[in-house]
Amino acid sequence: MRRFRRLSQLLFFVFFLILFFAARDPYKTPVPSEIFLQSSPLAAVTVFLTSRSLFAPMLLSVVVLILSLVLGRIFCGWVCPLGTIIDAADKFIKPKIGFMAPAGTRWKNAKFIILIAILIASLFSVQWAGYFDPLALLWRTFTVVIFPVVSFISFTLFQLIFNIGLFEDAAYWLYDLSQKTVLPMQQPVFLQGGLILFVFAVILFSSTVSKRFWCRNICPLGALLALVSRRRLLQHDVNSACTACGLCQSSCRMAAIADDLSTSAAECIECGECLDTCPEKAIHYAFRISPPQPLDLSRRHVIQAGLLGVSGVVFGHALGRGEKQSTVIRPPGALQEKEFVDTCIRCLQCVKICNSTGGCLQPTFLQAGWEALWTPRVEPGLGYCEFDCTLCGQVCPSGAIRELQPSEKKKTKIARAVFDKNRCIPWAAHKDCLVCEEHCPVADKAIKFERREISTPDGDLLTVKLPYVVEELCIGCGICEYKCPVSGDRGIVMAPINRDADAFTL
Amino acid sequence: MHTLSRRNFIIQSSMIVAGASSLLRPGETMPDPVVKTMHASPEQLVDKAIEMLGGIEAFVKPGQSVLIKPNIGWDRAPEQAATTNPDIVSKIITLCRQAGAGKIRVLDRTCNSARRCYRRSGIADAAKQAGAQVRYTVTSRFRDTTIPEGRILKSWPIYKDVFDFDVLINIPIAKTHSLSRVTLGMKNLMGLLGGDRGRLHEDFDEKIVDINSIIRPTLTIVDAYRVLLRNGPSGGSLDDVSLRETIIAGRDPVAVDAAAALLFNIAPSSLPFLVNAERRGLGSMNLGASKLKLFDFRG
Repeated sequence: MRRFRRLSQLLFFVFFLILFFAARDPYKTPVPSEIFLQSSPLAAVTVFLTSRSLFAPMLLSVVVLILSLVLGRIFCGWVCPLGTIIDAADKFIKPKIGFMAPAGTRWKNAKFIILIAILIASLFSVQWAGYFDPLALLWRTFTVVIFPVVSFISFTLFQLIFNIGLFEDAAYWLYDLSQKTVLPMQQPVFLQGGLILFVFAVILFSSTVSKRFWCRNICPLGALLALVSRRRLLQHDVNSACTACGLCQSSCRMAAIADDLSTSAAECIECGECLDTCPEKAIHYAFRISPPQPLDLSRRHVIQAGLLGVSGVVFGHALGRGEKQSTVIRPPGALQEKEFVDTCIRCLQCVKICNSTGGCLQPTFLQAGWEALWTPRVEPGLGYCEFDCTLCGQVCPSGAIRELQPSEKKKTKIARAVFDKNRCIPWAAHKDCLVCEEHCPVADKAIKFERREISTPDGDLLTVKLPYVVEELCIGCGICEYKCPVSGDRGIVMAPINRDADAFTL
Repeated sequence: MHTLSRRNFIIQSSMIVAGASSLLRPGETMPDPVVKTMHASPEQLVDKAIEMLGGIEAFVKPGQSVLIKPNIGWDRAPEQAATTNPDIVSKIITLCRQAGAGKIRVLDRTCNSARRCYRRSGIADAAKQAGAQVRYTVTSRFRDTTIPEGRILKSWPIYKDVFDFDVLINIPIAKTHSLSRVTLGMKNLMGLLGGDRGRLHEDFDEKIVDINSIIRPTLTIVDAYRVLLRNGPSGGSLDDVSLRETIIAGRDPVAVDAAAALLFNIAPSSLPFLVNAERRGLGSMNLGASKLKLFDFRG
């Protein structure tokens, strides 16, 4: 059993990696990168609640629900790549024996409280699931932490090989191959890496309290599947050969086996460790319908959860949006600001795929209210929106970024360009430049210039080409800001537009 | 018995080499011709132009490595005339291979995402098919290089291949450019530069000559099959493209650019970078009858 489970975990982890790295330009993949993220019923149900509309691709998650109804939380034990990482880290991060030893199942209800709070929040259109959904969380961590780290190490090695100069052709072949598959074209720079890494590290190191601490006590997707799994058809029967030695109980990573050696269908993730461990081979699987096991979730727990959810909503709205909506630039095709923040599951897959082209997308910190934490935004200082690219909308798992047709995309205004005449070289220093105009991708250029005669301190007259923006033509792609040679703050910057009020497209 | 001493061998062979190279690189007395071919397919235009310049063998010797620098700067299709025509690139590669060239490499440092540009321009596929190495630029190969004749730029990161390869063939596409009015051969060499190229736009007309004083192409071929008349150099609209079915080629980068400027009805002498280049001895704008040779397929 253990061998099969590990094989399944390995295969799904590899599948996750393939999907993760396939989110790149050119985006040609038989299996879309977003399907793993869409298989999460937690993401699907919260997006349905917050957006009050059904995003059809997320119906895929019904498969996981049906699977759980039959086989219990097999997703947690056999599929979930975060669970796999936690299991793999088990070798290095061991529970401290004695340290909170009786913890066992003490906090197992926390995950239900979190789940209920998330669901209540989503009823009030506050999207929290993305912070806790293990798939979104993993995608996010891989995008802003693992991906840059892998790139940095690889590029350092390649640079070393290139500098030595031996086997240059072979080295380049390998370099090109890895850039076609895994590596980006240049070292990615992502914001928010520290905070996102911190969350991931806390999850990994929570295993020092107990095995799979996250899965036992926190993961709301696990909680959702647990609710369904209570009705699972797969039963664990113990026959008379059992000597009540308790090895199964101590081997259970989920503390799902009670002192009377009965298994909690809600907690069990079907890892099969008990079957393998039992010296008498006394545990058997059988399929039959049985009444759902009750949860020992008290009314007090539910009230706590409700309060948590509601207070989240209150905080979110009080500290959140208001006028802050226009402080950030959203990707092209993003829904209107409020809907967008509600629908986005913070997986940052758009940020990952954007990195392979213009690289303008970054995770938001608190610039758009704390409710919008880790939603994608455009940061033109670090990249630009590639004119002919519609990739972010193609990989968005929740429909927060609509998939635009290229013709539509090229007319979608996401920001407006504004000259800072105190910094722009022709305006401030009276020297020709026009790098912005050179790169402007719209066919009737949105940056034009006028020739103006300017007298120098010596009394000479010189003609300078002074650039200006034609608002009606500018789509706010930001390549002008990105390529502007003025260091520090650029001579031309992107200003967010009020997308709820302004017309979206030109 | 007559024996060839080592000293005599060296003297004799160096005389042969010197004689041969004096034939290959004529002095000021015989100006390098500029050829212009018109009204045929890109392949035919290249073929004829190279033939008029004395055949590809005049530029590429067997075993020599060839670096080809087309304009792959933008994520645009060939019809949009922002990037060099892929058929011209592949024809040049084919000719180089016929001349027995060794390694042939095609690269450019792009403005838009490199993979998109290489793909969309059609150049990556065409060049690969013709048998060249298609490479993306590698950051570590841009090496800070002293520019001895630089007036403003004393040093700049330049792609190492420029100096590692025996032959450099520059294949720009003729486009308008708001700063320099036109972008032709001399400006196309900016694609071999690292660093923040935006900084070159200040005092551009002198800096571009500085760059051309250290990067000296063996042969410049201006692709004017399609010419971008407005919204250059990135273009995008087919309305701005004019079909000219023309190629201008030659050794002298100043003369080639001068001939190409005329396609835009711009007098070469009104382009400061050409004036500066001539003044600094990089070539001659003079397009007398003995220098510019025309072949029109329509006769």
